[in-house]
Amino acid sequence: MTAQYARRVLALAVSILLPISAHAASFNWQKYKGQTIEVLVDNNPIGKVIATNADAFEKLTGITLKVDIFTEQQMRQRLVTVLDANSNQIDVFMTLPSREGAQFAKAGWYTDLTPMTGDVSSSYDFNGLSPALLKAATINGKLTSIPMNIEGPVLYYRADILRKCHVAVPATLADLELAAQKIKACDPSVTPFVSRGLRDALPYTYSAFFHNMGGQYIVDGKSGLCSPQGLAALKLYGDLLRQFGPLGVVNYSFYQISSLYRDGRAAMAFESSNELSDVMQGGARLGDTGVALLPPGPGGSHPTAIDWGLAMSPYSTHKGAAWYLIQWATSPDMQAKNQLAGIAAPRASIAKDRAVQAWLKAEPVRTQWQQAVSELATTGTSDVGYPIVDNPESRQYIGDAVDNVIVGTKTPAAACGAADASLNTLIAKDGG
Amino acid sequence: MHISASSRQRGALAVLAMPAVLFTAMMVVFPILYTIWLSFRTAPLGHATQFVGFANYAQLADSPQFWNSIKVSLTLYVISLAMQLTGGTYLALLLFQAKRMPAILRSILISPFMVPPVVVGMMFLIILDPSLGAANWVLSLFGIAPSAWLASPEWVIPTVALIDTWQWMPFVALIVLGGLQSLPPSVYEAAKIDGAPPRLVFWRITLPLLLPTLATAAILRTVDLLRFFDIIYVTTQGGPLNASDTLNIYGFHIGFELFQFGYASALAMTLTAMVFGVVLALNRLRRAIDW
Repeated sequence: MTAQYARRVLALAVSILLPISAHAASFNWQKYKGQTIEVLVDNNPIGKVIATNADAFEKLTGITLKVDIFTEQQMRQRLVTVLDANSNQIDVFMTLPSREGAQFAKAGWYTDLTPMTGDVSSSYDFNGLSPALLKAATINGKLTSIPMNIEGPVLYYRADILRKCHVAVPATLADLELAAQKIKACDPSVTPFVSRGLRDALPYTYSAFFHNMGGQYIVDGKSGLCSPQGLAALKLYGDLLRQFGPLGVVNYSFYQISSLYRDGRAAMAFESSNELSDVMQGGARLGDTGVALLPPGPGGSHPTAIDWGLAMSPYSTHKGAAWYLIQWATSPDMQAKNQLAGIAAPRASIAKDRAVQAWLKAEPVRTQWQQAVSELATTGTSDVGYPIVDNPESRQYIGDAVDNVIVGTKTPAAACGAADASLNTLIAKDGG
Repeated sequence: MHISASSRQRGALAVLAMPAVLFTAMMVVFPILYTIWLSFRTAPLGHATQFVGFANYAQLADSPQFWNSIKVSLTLYVISLAMQLTGGTYLALLLFQAKRMPAILRSILISPFMVPPVVVGMMFLIILDPSLGAANWVLSLFGIAPSAWLASPEWVIPTVALIDTWQWMPFVALIVLGGLQSLPPSVYEAAKIDGAPPRLVFWRITLPLLLPTLATAAILRTVDLLRFFDIIYVTTQGGPLNASDTLNIYGFHIGFELFQFGYASALAMTLTAMVFGVVLALNRLRRAIDW
């Protein structure tokens, strides 16, 4: 009986594994050998992974890979110049669906990747990619990009300072302000709270406050920045940074925030999960930092979760080879490598990878970080600014309103009132 | 016969020079004409441009942000130019009278404008960081309250003007020094014989004679200052609250961040017209005061 059972199990295992290994063996990575493709990437840790591993891709596929690497703004400028000229010079490019997704889709600058998702190696596991991010990248029924990472703002806090000041980790948005007050009274040498104040960068962090407060950017076809929830979010974010933030916070983006926190001069920093490696650089913060999501507010918990994706130019003349690059760069293997560099993978399965498990266990802060990232992957929203074609311009109006409140030149009502007028024009234009 | 040979030679030279002339014309004329053409059109991404007449110019005339950028550009221009001409003249007078190591002093002097503006911007971004920078630390040694510097809507323009002056005042000083060295010694000898005090010599002789040189320096700095971009792009990107949003920064933001190429071209043409206008006026002034 036991032997018969063992034979059945073996037969079942063979029947499951055989087609997979046969498919893996049959997937021909060298199909496009000899072709040359060009990829345009951002000079951030996510883009650098492609540049540093280009040799491995070339060895695997026989495809020659030219990597163009620029800072974000310059990358976008080059991309627009090339695509607007209908040039086939770039085959694959990095894109931020939450920012330019609708804008580029309207311009016809994304190849629909849906039909290609069937042409994958058996280890690729397309269904393992974050459904929320795939949904965000699907515009008008077309899959515009494949997620390379998942990221969102998280709260880095100094557990030792909170302990010293008898402050619990904030459990609600209201607690956050109380915690900042207590830290300011207890240790004036440290900045109680820091987040983004730079106009075009702050919607990334502000959106989490706005959504947790219960705000929605568009309500019945009109801007909701000035709704009661929006006003409360504007007041809280503005007050936190004006009263408890560093001097000159209106010029702060990720670089200044990470530097300030890493230097031990901030007790709480609300900044991107991607900044983990920068924040921990040098190791000074490894032992005293905790990571959590922004605490929920009256509207619940709606963390911001976005991704960088890899997209294919519609003008590419090497679409097969281009898809191989996208497939390779977003494969579980590559994303496990990324995770070890602090780039959160857009696949839940990566957290179970043996090397990743060892990396997470090495420092408690990494486990907390992973928990926060996993949570934002399941509950997050990708609305950074208004979900319209002119999303980049909408961010500017949000940034202006918030900065006016931080600097104190306008009340929250006056600041968002002025912004709402411009935002309603953008929304109407989008509808038209 | 001789005339005919010379004429043939001129014709051959013209043919030989033609490629270079055409290339230069293409490189200079084409971008300008294209920008003018684009300023009368709307250019939606991925789609053909459409003629919109003067709509882009009407849009800028109605835009508070445009008028803010004009105000910012002119304020920055006036403050920076005044500081650079005054400081540059003073520095040149010191150098003119320097007896020891004038060559070394001049080498040190030109070093700021050898540094790329982006590096200057990064350098001052770190020095003037309100929390981590050296500037506030130095102020604290004297018991002075820290300043927000580039993050203050009130102080951002004077601060940017100071940074630009640090970089370009030596350039003005070198031009003025050249002017000082070319002044006729006979006038000074006459003043000395008459017993004129040094202050009077400066106000009545040196400065009036230096005016054409100062006008030249002003023209050179005007072109740069009205198109002010790099240091602001690195340090504030036009903020805080658009307080350092010069016309060039505003146009760049509209063109290369929001991708509204038609409107951005109208802004670029307005800036070009403004620079041409001011330079022409200064040039006429220079001719009027020439001696």
